[in-house]
Amino acid sequence: MTRRVVPLLVALVLLLGSLASAQEPIVLRLFSYVDVAMYEHIQEAINEFQSLYPHIRVVHETVSGSGAALYPDALRTALLSGDPPDVFFMWGGTIAEPYMRAGQVRDLKEYYDKYNWHDRFIPWAVQATQYQGVTYGAPVLVQGIAYWYRKDIFDRYGLTVPTSYAEMEQLAARLSNQNIHALSLGGRFGWHTMRFTEYLLEHTAGPELHDALNRLEARWDDPAVVEAYNLLKKWVDNQWLVPNFLNVVPDDARWPVYRGQAAMDPEGPWFERTLISDEMQGPHWDFFMPPTDHEPLRYSAFIEQLMIPVASRHPDEAALFIDFITSPETLRKYPQIFNTPATVGVTPDPELLPLSYKFQVILETSMATYTITDQALEKELMDTFFAIQDGIIAGRYTPEEGAREMQAAVERWKAEH
Amino acid sequence: MNRRNRNLSPYLFLLLPLAWYAIFLVYPMLTSLWISFTDWDGLSPTSNFVGLANYVRFVAGDSVARRALINNVLWTIGTILIPTGIGLVLAVILNSRHLIGRNLIRAMFYMPAVVPMVAIGIIWAWMYDPNFGAINEFLRSIGLAHWARGWLSDYSTAFPATFAASVWSGIGFPMVLYLAGLQSIPQDLYEAAAIDGCSRLQAFWYVTFPSLRETHIIVGTLAVIQSFKVFDMVYTMTWGGPGQITQVLGTWMYFNGFQYYRAGYGAAIAWIIALISMVVAIPYIRIMSRD
Amino acid sequence: MSTASVPIVRKRRIKGVGLFLILFLIALVFLVPFGIVAFTSVKSQGELIMGGVLALPQQFRWSNFVRAWEIGKFGIYFKNSGLLLLIKVPLGIFLAALAAYPLAKMKFRFNNAIFILFLLGLTIPVHVILIPMVVMVKNLGITNTLWSLIFPYVAIGLPFQIFVMRGFFRLIPDELLEAARIDGASELWIFLRIMLPLSLPALATLYIIDAVATWNELLVALVLVNADAARTVPLGLLRFQGQFASNYTQMMAGVLIVIAPMIALYIFLQQYLIAGLSAGAVKE
Repeated sequence: MTRRVVPLLVALVLLLGSLASAQEPIVLRLFSYVDVAMYEHIQEAINEFQSLYPHIRVVHETVSGSGAALYPDALRTALLSGDPPDVFFMWGGTIAEPYMRAGQVRDLKEYYDKYNWHDRFIPWAVQATQYQGVTYGAPVLVQGIAYWYRKDIFDRYGLTVPTSYAEMEQLAARLSNQNIHALSLGGRFGWHTMRFTEYLLEHTAGPELHDALNRLEARWDDPAVVEAYNLLKKWVDNQWLVPNFLNVVPDDARWPVYRGQAAMDPEGPWFERTLISDEMQGPHWDFFMPPTDHEPLRYSAFIEQLMIPVASRHPDEAALFIDFITSPETLRKYPQIFNTPATVGVTPDPELLPLSYKFQVILETSMATYTITDQALEKELMDTFFAIQDGIIAGRYTPEEGAREMQAAVERWKAEH
Repeated sequence: MNRRNRNLSPYLFLLLPLAWYAIFLVYPMLTSLWISFTDWDGLSPTSNFVGLANYVRFVAGDSVARRALINNVLWTIGTILIPTGIGLVLAVILNSRHLIGRNLIRAMFYMPAVVPMVAIGIIWAWMYDPNFGAINEFLRSIGLAHWARGWLSDYSTAFPATFAASVWSGIGFPMVLYLAGLQSIPQDLYEAAAIDGCSRLQAFWYVTFPSLRETHIIVGTLAVIQSFKVFDMVYTMTWGGPGQITQVLGTWMYFNGFQYYRAGYGAAIAWIIALISMVVAIPYIRIMSRD
Repeated sequence: MSTASVPIVRKRRIKGVGLFLILFLIALVFLVPFGIVAFTSVKSQGELIMGGVLALPQQFRWSNFVRAWEIGKFGIYFKNSGLLLLIKVPLGIFLAALAAYPLAKMKFRFNNAIFILFLLGLTIPVHVILIPMVVMVKNLGITNTLWSLIFPYVAIGLPFQIFVMRGFFRLIPDELLEAARIDGASELWIFLRIMLPLSLPALATLYIIDAVATWNELLVALVLVNADAARTVPLGLLRFQGQFASNYTQMMAGVLIVIAPMIALYIFLQQYLIAGLSAGAVKE
């Protein structure tokens, strides 16, 4: 008798429990790496979303700090422990690839169709969310790398924005005559230095070969790579780069530029806001896309996106949220959320953020981009790239040795994957 | 009855701590041991058993791992000698009852040990910065400008500089343990030594140092174990760079297991770290514990 | 005290003052990095960048501390970390002492094996046990409560604490325990009334070491907790760094806020470092 009653009771309790929970709002967990300021802006939009859809409560959890380092650790643990977020922020390309390859994130085709996102986003941004023909993400931000420079220093010495690589070197030499370093880099982590190395590669290899290199379809000991490494060495030897930068934190690489000891820093559209938070904003800043001597003139670009884990219990609500947060209406109403959104037709305020506005126009109208190297090569290979880059700068590898090492690493990598 | 109680009592004392430890630490450790025999990427729902392949890779196919292992050995030797030695000397001096402001001085030397890792990375990046760092500024001001360099950027100084920062934050730990150990040395030993005409240095060598044997075991073993799994200092100060010159096993485990999606290999490195420390620590404890 | 020893005491005083001055100066050099933290914490970001990290602050921006307190959410996080200091640290040390007593003072079959098992837990890097630990916390249904930190933290801390306590327990003379046993004392009584009181300096030392480690622990807290209600102080410090910029000045104010309680705790615990406890007990 009691043996039958117990399961019945359990079933009843479970049923009552599920009924009770049906009346509770759906909790949508959003996982991100945004900083405190952006968190507060997003919260404003979330508040509106919740008033539009009272049955959904969005819980935004953020792991800010030290760039890309800690966030993936926390995200992966959340995904594996069976308690995943319902929607999360991610960078593009090879950084997102392991999640797609492992089948951890959802194919978003049905939502692209349902909400007609096909026309919403900048086309190259959507491409950057794809892996083997499947679209796994909705792009929220487009970013590119430009060379931000001190207009006042350029003006003082009658310098102009270079239009060819040769002029770039002339510019560096003339700044050097004034005891000003042309470019300031922060070598810790490798990716800030990479923004210069990949520019040199684009110049020496040209668009076609550069892309083939990043797809591992061309040989890395190609003369064009050796030449790029030669140029890197030249910039180091001539002290056109601020010396001893190999373990300088990228955030601190700005300081010599702020102080007028260096003239340029490779940064993205976010840099205008960085200037404001560093209390360094002013009319003496501008940027240009570095000349590569190739047609079309391409620049390094990447995206940030939102993804939905396959294990999410509320994918429809997650998609609804993505639709809301990337819609032109929302973005116009809360322009602080995404500085340079991937959504077509939304720009930063040209009065408040003129340089971000200028950047957004370039990002939206120009198809001529190449994938930033750390979203083109997988992290393990990328770290070899960084180590060789360091070795050439420190003179531990000749450019030829560096290129050979890289090719060897690529071959090892291909053999294993 | 009493006899049986005595036989059982060690286990009664151990029951709760051992159960707690087994559930929350031994079980996860065994899981990771299993993972070290697989090719798991750390994300996929499935993985394949690969036997000892990850361990073979460490021994045979990984030049960075060799660099890391050498760095760990250097780090271990350095840690046993420098912060431990300074901690001991400081503890002995700061144990003196005649020292005025003893608590203040102790607190000052202990202060770096309480700084969170996030902050240590930033503070020391500024100490060592090639352009505006405190160390280069100091060298320039005393006319040694040619010694100024990018301490963490230079291949030859990056690792010693990282270690130096770890000495700064690592002195407090042996110091407090030695201070506690010093409390157990009977005062009459010193009185006897004084009657025998020992100088203070002799008293240190013949009374203090040998009497601290148990503390030496604790501090020495912990120095070895913590040096082999050192992670935070390298992670926050150099990220393993420049090149891979400052990689240690702890960071290399992290890079493989977390950043390169080689969870199996990362787990294998973790177990290699554990085995090496055990192989060094256990004989040391044995020898030191001999009466 | 005889009158003859008075000059010796005075001489020692003078030596004490001299030693104090020497040590104080060394300590000041040792603490130069703290000068950087303190200077930075009262500057504006612009002043820091243009003037450098070594320059004395021109204007004191005390509001950095107010803002740091808000950004770091220290109001909530201090409470959580404080609770850990009150619950987790004593609990862990007590459990460790329970285990250390038989390991140090009793002969039984598996003594060595159990000791080595605990030692193994000390050698394994915490990274590789994160995921199983998260799964376990989830299965226990304690996710995002302070208990989700207390259970793993106690386990992670045990090997270290057992190792240290075992060492200090070994210093207590066996004769003392035998005498108590002959008098009919139970093992529990010996543990509570002899072992623990005689190890007061070790317990105080363990408390400060474990308190600092718990207060500053980042990685486990990062992956185990994702709700403010159970987050701890180091997670607050992360909030000063963004993807593209770091607010150094407010962060350094945050660092000072975070380390102050630990320094106060250390100074407070000093009074329990009392010499001659065990030595005195033997003579009785």
